[in-house]
Amino acid sequence: MPMVRFDGVSKSYPGGKEALSKVSFELARGEFAFLTGHSGAGKSTLLKLMLQMERPSKGQVFVDGDCVNTMKSSLVPLLRRKVGVVFQNHQLLFDRSVYDNVAMPLLIAGYQPAEAARRVRAALDSVGLLGFERRNPIELSGGEQQRVGIARAVVNKPQLLLADEPTGNLDPELSEEIMKLFLRFQQVGVTVLIATHDIPLIERMGHRRLILDHGSLHDSGGQRAGFERGDHVRT
Amino acid sequence: MSAPDSPKRQTANAPRKPQVGASTHKVSLKDQLNGWAQQHQLVAVETLMRLLTKPLGSIMTWLVIAISLTLPGAMWMTLDNLSQLSNRFQASGSMSVYLKPAVQDTQAQQLLSCIESMDGVADVRFISADDALAEFRASSGLGEALDLLPENPLPGVIVVEPELALPQQDVIALADSLRSEPRVDSVELDTAWLDRLHALLALSERIVWVMGALLALGILLVVGNTIRLSIAARVDEIRVTKLVGATNAWVRRPFLYTGLWFGMVGGLVSWILLAIGWALVSGPVEDLAALYGSEYRLLPLSAGAALVLLLGAMLLGWLGAWWSVVRHLHRIEP
Repeated sequence: MPMVRFDGVSKSYPGGKEALSKVSFELARGEFAFLTGHSGAGKSTLLKLMLQMERPSKGQVFVDGDCVNTMKSSLVPLLRRKVGVVFQNHQLLFDRSVYDNVAMPLLIAGYQPAEAARRVRAALDSVGLLGFERRNPIELSGGEQQRVGIARAVVNKPQLLLADEPTGNLDPELSEEIMKLFLRFQQVGVTVLIATHDIPLIERMGHRRLILDHGSLHDSGGQRAGFERGDHVRT
Repeated sequence: MSAPDSPKRQTANAPRKPQVGASTHKVSLKDQLNGWAQQHQLVAVETLMRLLTKPLGSIMTWLVIAISLTLPGAMWMTLDNLSQLSNRFQASGSMSVYLKPAVQDTQAQQLLSCIESMDGVADVRFISADDALAEFRASSGLGEALDLLPENPLPGVIVVEPELALPQQDVIALADSLRSEPRVDSVELDTAWLDRLHALLALSERIVWVMGALLALGILLVVGNTIRLSIAARVDEIRVTKLVGATNAWVRRPFLYTGLWFGMVGGLVSWILLAIGWALVSGPVEDLAALYGSEYRLLPLSAGAALVLLLGAMLLGWLGAWWSVVRHLHRIEP
């Protein structure tokens, strides 16, 4: 059973604009893939469909074998606990500490405080921010804030990690660091899908690419690595 | 608490190296329940702290709630005292049992002891026709005119004092049973003014209820509006929590607790206001009662009534929050 499956998914907004048209693809468990395309190509929409932040107009979206678009709203929170999300604007709350930001998914999932504390430290350690617990995220640099966002996304050990332009505001060096961080999560079995338009970066990194062009999807194929697959990419 | 003796914990702790893995951690039901209870505790404390750390905004809401509760509360206390007072009046209302003219004093004495043994009778006193005439002669100054009468026009009277605690309907029943006595001509029980007082009290009670209902609605609106503002101030937080898997119940919880705290503190303040009001008024009331030779004391709000006030206030706060949350929260989606 693939981790993610899109089956003829179209999404049009009121007014007739079609954000996605007949998108089909699968992400195997433990796979690492990039989602690229010009801005407005429908990358964010595609990610949102997996969390039922949006529903498709046509077609079906499966995450971990469950059909997301027909899922009862009472089950959506459980879906979202399985999926970690990282945003370009990181969506951190500045009225609380780094620790409280990262611990939020655990408190929601009902963890004991001691267990939550252990996991928060582990997550912060994995993004290299151990010792930042008491700081307010507003004091941190853009790259550090993004890493807090990643720590929050992985603290509940999600099976699927989605990132929407996680390096959008970062310089190339920091961007690469962040990408390597995502690779590390993939190495421990997490399925990772990263939406980005940072073409040079993903060309350096290789990996499978899903390319959105005006709502249609082109797949670079399931290759794990290799610049050599670049010629398959139609732009 | 990661108890080292728990095998479940140990397996959860065991794979330390890959700190983030694809395997999801299964939370046992017991842990979930504990977590749920702790979450409630946490939210309860957190929301209270949030209110206390920004007391200016909260104080207004608390005072509005407190005043809205104090008005009907004070009226209710007043009515409660008045009805206690009216019970005393009613109990002290004795009845006059007029005997038929043909009844001899000896028969009257028999009847007297018969009435004395009846339930609910505290005291009886016989005034014979002759005594009554003598008394009337002394008090009216019509001595010589009365001498012209061929016979004593006054009947013998038995004055019956019902027991103090006897309820009104039992007093009336006692009067009715005395009326049915063959030797009794008529029984006079002055209850008309008491009836009027009771009707007035019933009316006032109704007014208190209507006012209370309107003010309760006011509390709902005030709490609802305050919660609406606090939802608006926390839109980002709500979006993020929903995005990382918060259920609607989880998102609602802090707001419902906030409503509960508003109600509770408002209720407490109202109770304090009522207690102060009672302390201010009870002294003068006692002095007034003393002037009338009564030992009447103003009753404070009973513990039961105070509890009802507090729980009612909490319920209203919670309902107001619920109403607001239902209206506004579903619109906030990530």
